[in-house]
Amino acid sequence: MGGRSELEKHSAGNTWSKVLQRQIEWPDKDEFLDIIYWLRQVLGIILGLIWGIIPLTGVVGLSLFFVCNAGILYLYFSGFQKVDEEEFGGAWELTKEGFMTSFAGFLVTWIVVYSGLHFSEHDFQPFVAS
Amino acid sequence: MWSDTFLIIFISVVTAFFGEGVTWLMVYRTEKYQKLKLEVERQCKKLEKRKEATGESVIVKNQKKKLEREEEKLKTNTRDLSLVKMKSMFAIGVAFTALLSIFNSIFDGRVVAKLPFIPLGFLQGISHRNLPGTDYTDCSFIFLYILCTMAIRQNVQKLLGFAPSRAVSKQSGNIFGPPPAK
Repeated sequence: MGGRSELEKHSAGNTWSKVLQRQIEWPDKDEFLDIIYWLRQVLGIILGLIWGIIPLTGVVGLSLFFVCNAGILYLYFSGFQKVDEEEFGGAWELTKEGFMTSFAGFLVTWIVVYSGLHFSEHDFQPFVAS
Repeated sequence: MWSDTFLIIFISVVTAFFGEGVTWLMVYRTEKYQKLKLEVERQCKKLEKRKEATGESVIVKNQKKKLEREEEKLKTNTRDLSLVKMKSMFAIGVAFTALLSIFNSIFDGRVVAKLPFIPLGFLQGISHRNLPGTDYTDCSFIFLYILCTMAIRQNVQKLLGFAPSRAVSKQSGNIFGPPPAK
């Protein structure tokens, strides 16, 4: 079934060892799209952590996330792996892969870390305290 | 100030697994679903291959008819598949609404987090739901819960292998999207 059987087919370890090798052949398109998907999820959470610690806020934080997320993954698949984008239906298809989920993951991490590090109980419930 | 946010993340992880568990019990493990899913996947791949093999412009009339017939069959199967899923979707919907109202009353009027940005106007209704004051960086339970669910649900589905395969979503996109130019 879906993802799991695919992972079993390629064996998860084997797939992940290919992630850091340059310009590897990807005979199975789904395998490469899965890699892009999971890399994007991890990247979203890492960016959320960094943004929360700094802290970046507002439109700057949001737009920087879009630029970094799309940019870093673009560099990965076109610069590092040098895949033929057309095989996957263009760069846009690769950029779309897992974007919304990654964005949600980023927002959750950003919000949680930001409010955890930079606010105290009093900031949260001022109407209760006063 | 981590307790509320971690509790919400925990709640959404549990509900995501619970939802998938129920769907597995009611749908994924049934023979009917597995058969239909295999059939749809097989047809999708076949269709895609055939479309690639025959260049759009040189499709002979006979082949075109065959292709259309296949697409028709695929459409019926996809519809059957979503009907099978519907039953459990409904059950989960009811259960989640009940759960959500319980959590809503627990977190009623409580600021669970501070947003590092001010949400767009139409989102403020959710992010500032049931909260006093006009500080729109206050975050309500429901907003964080929805975000968590968005982030976690699909990943759980993918991890467990229940997410629909790409070939299927691509084909169904074609079917329900604008028909290809003739």
